Amino acid sequence: MMVSANRFRSIGWIALLLVCAALVMVLAFRVNALRSQVHRTEQQIVALRKEKLYLETEVETRANQQQLKLWNDVEFGYVAPTAGQYLANERQLAAFAKPDGPDSPTPIRVASADDAVAAEAAFPSVIPDFAGVTDMAAPAAAAEDEDKAVAKPADAADHAKATANLGARLAMVAPLKKDSKDKPGKGKADKEGKTKDGEKKAGLAKSAKDDAARPGKGANLTAAKAEAKPGKGAAAKSEKSAKSAPKAAHSGSKSAP
Amino acid sequence: MNSLTASAAIATGRVQLATVRQSALVTARLRALWVMLLFVFLTLTACVRIAQLGLFEQTPERTSLAEALLPSRGEITDRNGIALARAFASYSLWFNPKALGERGAPLVKTPEEVARALVGIFPDADYADLVARLKAGKPCYLRRRVLPEDANKIFALGEPALEFPREEQRFYPQGSLAAHVLGYVDEAGKGHVGMEQVLEPRLLDPAYRGTPTALSIDARAQGALEDELGRGMLETSAKGAAGVILDADSGEVIALASLPSFNPNRSDLAYNDLVFNRVSNQVYELGSTFKPITVASAIDAGVITDLAVRYPSVPFQVGKFTIHDSHNFGASLNVPEALIHSSNTVTAHVADLLGPVALKRTMEQLGMNERPTIELPARGFPLWPHGGGEGGKGDWARLTTMTVSYGHGIAVTPLHLASAYAALVNGGIWRPATLYKVDPAHLAQGRRVFQASTSARIRQLLRMIVVDGTGRKADAAGFRVGGKTGSAEKPGSGGYRKTSLIATFAAAFPMDKPRYVVIVMLDEPQATASTSGQRTAAWNAAPIVGRLVPRIGPMLGVVPDAHHDVDISDLSPLVGSGEGE
Repeated sequence: MMVSANRFRSIGWIALLLVCAALVMVLAFRVNALRSQVHRTEQQIVALRKEKLYLETEVETRANQQQLKLWNDVEFGYVAPTAGQYLANERQLAAFAKPDGPDSPTPIRVASADDAVAAEAAFPSVIPDFAGVTDMAAPAAAAEDEDKAVAKPADAADHAKATANLGARLAMVAPLKKDSKDKPGKGKADKEGKTKDGEKKAGLAKSAKDDAARPGKGANLTAAKAEAKPGKGAAAKSEKSAKSAPKAAHSGSKSAP
Repeated sequence: MNSLTASAAIATGRVQLATVRQSALVTARLRALWVMLLFVFLTLTACVRIAQLGLFEQTPERTSLAEALLPSRGEITDRNGIALARAFASYSLWFNPKALGERGAPLVKTPEEVARALVGIFPDADYADLVARLKAGKPCYLRRRVLPEDANKIFALGEPALEFPREEQRFYPQGSLAAHVLGYVDEAGKGHVGMEQVLEPRLLDPAYRGTPTALSIDARAQGALEDELGRGMLETSAKGAAGVILDADSGEVIALASLPSFNPNRSDLAYNDLVFNRVSNQVYELGSTFKPITVASAIDAGVITDLAVRYPSVPFQVGKFTIHDSHNFGASLNVPEALIHSSNTVTAHVADLLGPVALKRTMEQLGMNERPTIELPARGFPLWPHGGGEGGKGDWARLTTMTVSYGHGIAVTPLHLASAYAALVNGGIWRPATLYKVDPAHLAQGRRVFQASTSARIRQLLRMIVVDGTGRKADAAGFRVGGKTGSAEKPGSGGYRKTSLIATFAAAFPMDKPRYVVIVMLDEPQATASTSGQRTAAWNAAPIVGRLVPRIGPMLGVVPDAHHDVDISDLSPLVGSGEGE
């Protein structure tokens, strides 16, 4: 019995040894399999890097300086920028907007001449567009603006005029837009037209709001309102402008002392 | 009896049968054993092999990733990392006559037809040579480097004997750009002419060749310099042109071009005169471009203290030689006027006052008496004027001093002049030119040649020459260019030749804080319509700088600014106006 137990134990040990050996073997196999996988991947990396270098060199060769010069001579004709095309800083950039002298004529612009005025009218929109602020800020602004309005009546008149002009322009744009809608294959143009209309309307509404925020401008406000109507009618789809225009009028009436 | 016999017989038969059975059984067992042994052997072998493969076997010729990607020759890049030279597996055209088998003709078509087709693809190929090689039936290269599209065309010829092995060769993606700086690598893999030769040990060293070697060259500026020099050379029908752009402070060579150039990709064609580097190897009498050096030396030595002092500008005789100007500028000129009009006589008078010792010392300090300091292997030795005394090492004669003062009787390379101008404008420190990228924190020591105040004065004077004088065509708006023209007659048999000139413009910009020195030189420019019938530097070399500076300035970090300039208000009242050389 003892012998058989001993024997059984040794068989057990041997079996354990064999199992361990088998496990080590399996592990070793896996390690080696992984190693060759790594090697294969390395080879792939080498091949890809060589391919990359090849392509890179090809691109560099095809786009070498002499080739680019040839293309430039024949096709593009680019030249080095001149001193006048460089700006030293933002102030220099801003200086372009300044008139040359006190009574200098407005520069001739190739694009729309009203843009500067429209931009000025749209400027207050940087103030957050929620009702409370407008209402609260209005009295404070009113005190300041009163002086300004007295000091610069011409400016205010210009402003109203510009707003009126803008309204008139929007009224002009509306029929054009309708026309273009009728034409097939002009979807994109229509879209652009719409966006522009939308922007203009928004600008108009803002300008109306701006006017409204200023006290003592009842006449201006009515003008703005009156002019705002055709714009509103022309593009009723733009909810923002449709909503903001009455709001501006409302706040204006509120803030008026 | 009978039965006994019969039983005996049966017994014998049985015994025999048993024996047979026994032996058959043994044989069968033996065979089974063999088969079993065979199986055991096979199994064991398989196991051993599996274990061997799984445990010990490494892949044959296993190389590391880094080793596999290590180029056979290191890459050379410009200062911004643009590859200028790299080891690249490109196609070559190999003729294998045995591709169609041992017997029979090696080609499908006749050698003449194949050669004609090849000439159609490579117009520069030699038809007779190709026919001879194809007929000889020996394996050989027909062409060392073939573009992929050309390889496709050859493949379309349907000749199996024309093979395209991909071989690692030296390739220059930018073609002939900076050819004289780089040089080329011959078929044996040896570098020649430029940095390929200089850097050879490093480029081949396995420890270093994995990382690219950056040169000081800026490929964009190099391209612009070559373009503009090439254009200037064409416009003036010049024999050659040379140009160098030098960082005024560090001495780094930003661009260096010698035209006509060569294509380093065709190393088989590179054994010719075009590999000769005009910038570092050829010496010229650079003429009037030396005048600012003389004036600087005189200001530094205290000989010129007042720039309003006037010197006679009429021709005068020294020994048998008469010194005269290109034009008559009146009876007298002051120093700013002399530089603006490029007067030889006034410069000679200044040099006479300065004396040979001081001028010679300045020239020596500027390295004019030795080969130019640069890494390139081809560096020309200047023609240094002989002095008196033993071995010609004594002081210069009076006439020598005078001629050297306006750039005659001394011949140096354009690179000498570039380094000298860098010292003139950078505050007075001469530093050796280098083609290695220099860390701004570790500039070369250099040596002081001029005082900083002298350098400031020279900056004003050089700017005046461009604003009011002979360098007007180099005045790129906003770049504050300053410089000096030089038009020297080339020496020939029996004196100087009136119509063979070396036209040079030595410039620096921006003059309020000089960053770069530009030297442009044309070898024998002709009077053409594009130069208004003139052949002097003011009409051919100066316009090249005028076109070049706006191209390279913004790329090199110099922004044009029309509101900045070096202040020349204290000198402006001293000059009239006129034309010079």
